[in-house]
Amino acid sequence: MTFREIAHTIRNTFRALRNGEFLLRVRADKYYMHIMYLFLLMWITIMLSLQVDKTLTRAGANKAAIEELRVHHTESEAALVKLRSASATETRLQKMGSKTALPQKPATVVKKK
Amino acid sequence: MARKESEIKDTVQGRERIHVVMFFMSMLFLFLGAWILVRIVHIQTSYTVDERVVGLFRPRVQKYVEHPVRGRILATDGRPLAISAPLYDIHMDCTVRKQEYKDKGKEEQEAGWRLKARELAVSLSREFHDKSADDWAKAILDGREKGSKYLLIRKNVDLTTLRKLQGFPLFKEGANHGGIIVERHPERIYPYDSLARRVIGYVKENNRIGLENSFDSELHGREGYEWRRVTDDYSWIRDLDSAKVEVQDGNDIRTTLNVDFQDIADKALRAQINENDDIRAGICIIMEAKTGAIRAMVNLSRGDTPQTTLWERENLVLTQTGEQGSVMKTVTLLSVVEDGYVTSLEQTLPTNHGFVPKLGIKGRPSAYPHDDHISDYERNTGRREITVMHGFEISSNYVFATLAETYYGKRPQEFLDHVYSYRLGEAFDFDIPGLRMPYVPRPEMEGVWSQTTLGTMAYGYAMSVTPLHVVTFYNGIANKGKMMKPYLVESVEKDGKVIKKYEPSALNASICSPATADTVTRALRAVVNTGTATRLKSAKLPVAGKTGTAQVVLTPQERKGNPDPYHDPMGRKKNQGTFVGFFPADNPKYTIMVTVYSYLSGKSFYGGTMPALAIREIVDKIYALDDDWRPELHPTATVPVMTEAK
Repeated sequence: MTFREIAHTIRNTFRALRNGEFLLRVRADKYYMHIMYLFLLMWITIMLSLQVDKTLTRAGANKAAIEELRVHHTESEAALVKLRSASATETRLQKMGSKTALPQKPATVVKKK
Repeated sequence: MARKESEIKDTVQGRERIHVVMFFMSMLFLFLGAWILVRIVHIQTSYTVDERVVGLFRPRVQKYVEHPVRGRILATDGRPLAISAPLYDIHMDCTVRKQEYKDKGKEEQEAGWRLKARELAVSLSREFHDKSADDWAKAILDGREKGSKYLLIRKNVDLTTLRKLQGFPLFKEGANHGGIIVERHPERIYPYDSLARRVIGYVKENNRIGLENSFDSELHGREGYEWRRVTDDYSWIRDLDSAKVEVQDGNDIRTTLNVDFQDIADKALRAQINENDDIRAGICIIMEAKTGAIRAMVNLSRGDTPQTTLWERENLVLTQTGEQGSVMKTVTLLSVVEDGYVTSLEQTLPTNHGFVPKLGIKGRPSAYPHDDHISDYERNTGRREITVMHGFEISSNYVFATLAETYYGKRPQEFLDHVYSYRLGEAFDFDIPGLRMPYVPRPEMEGVWSQTTLGTMAYGYAMSVTPLHVVTFYNGIANKGKMMKPYLVESVEKDGKVIKKYEPSALNASICSPATADTVTRALRAVVNTGTATRLKSAKLPVAGKTGTAQVVLTPQERKGNPDPYHDPMGRKKNQGTFVGFFPADNPKYTIMVTVYSYLSGKSFYGGTMPALAIREIVDKIYALDDDWRPELHPTATVPVMTEAK
């Protein structure tokens, strides 16, 4: 390609750009479907990324809820365990004026014949 | 026509104007495109990144460290002895929105805030009861005037209370409007308060004791971390492009402790010593005979003054070395029977008026102190001989010093070999560190070993051991000669699955033959039936054991120059009374020991009194609880089977 031809091509390109005919001249309309497909892919990528963010946010909230339930369970367990000890039961019964006390002998087991 | 020409001229001029505008716009975009190209080349080749600028464009990411939940300490039946849960400190920023509400036209909002603060004060007063609503309102509103940004509402509240507080007026509007500040901190919860606290231990920042310390590597777990980024709606989520280390919660440890036994022992011991201001401390150990598993370990003590309440202050079972007194006579009895020197408990010794036949200095009849028990025995019976069995029953020092002098006087090492084989001379490995090294004198110790050391050791003085050593020794007898290693932890678990199991092990597979153990058990049974521990005779299960009453060597400060190591100038002394034994005597399941320690006192405390009474209560209650002693009822006829009515 000679210098003249190169200069001619550049001049034509500039003219086309100036006249807004560049895409038509390079026949970009042939790639219209490809361009649309590219946009679709980009849209799906962005949408999925937002969905992942949303899922992770929900997972974090669920994790916090589970942690709260665990703490609640631990606190309840501690409170119940405290009440379950024999001396605590005995003290409560005494406070209530009950005559019920700890057993004096082990329970008798009835055996089947 | 002229009009037409002018219209054409206008149209042409208009088109030329549009053309020019379009030309300049195209040139502008062309220039911008070229500029972008130049910038791309520049950025790719020579541009240096300004981190401050980059920080503004990157999504905010921060490292989030996740702390592991400390593992639980469980009783043998799985009941929790120590668990972890966060507690919350609640403060209030009283100045919240104050500046904003100062602006003109916002006076109503300020008044509204103050009204809600008064409502909050009423709710706080109802919840905590320690301050009136007016006091709370004054504190909050004064804080607002004075600019208090950190008014303490309450420390260490649990989650339930926190949620309640977060529903109160003002606080329900959150930190930015209500001023509530919530600080979470992990906390260790011990549901049974003081029960077995010296065994379980505690964690306070970097200070740990007990099982919390010795099994910290299992309980602690491993910290994890992840990087989090902020989303478009300002939530923090994990940054999936960054590394993540999963947090590993601590493992649980299952102890051998039986909460019911611990509770019973704690209560029985308190009942004996709580009202007695002369008692400084008391311990109780219950050990399973076959395995050496410790089912209860109580360490109650007061502070320096009798007025302080009983609490698990120190692990006396492991650290209270001392001369144990007559409970160590069993060591001598076991040795002479095992060596065949005493073939029958009915074997007799001359009473010799209570003087051990060993010449004393300066014309004294014996190098040993006189035994008043023998004088009483001679006076009451008129006999000049005493059986080994009776000497054991009445806990005669004379009898046991004489046995030691007679059979081991020329070969004291033979006796010491027994002492070491009973593991009374070593600090064996235990699940909680801190077991004190016993002190056992040896003949080669010049200036320590004297002509009376052997006999003194034979009745429980001159050598110092811990209560754990004593109970382990007695457990060996209960277990027919097989001395089990005491242990406190039976397994390490993760989410309920056993990942490490600690099996029972023997310290000495045979300290004596089963026949010797049976003989000594018979002597121990006689102590309860007719000897110094008759308070245990009517226990609901037959008990075999030995009492011991020892005087404690005083410190130089306590002695105040008195040459007698056991008394101060006012004649006061420190006593310890012990009962150690096992039950049921014929087929031992548990070995038990109770010791009480006194302050300096003019009174004496005997193993046959408080310790024996505590043990009786413990034995009776264990009898009622333990499935092993359930009576069975066998029907003599066939019970008719109920059928449905037609």
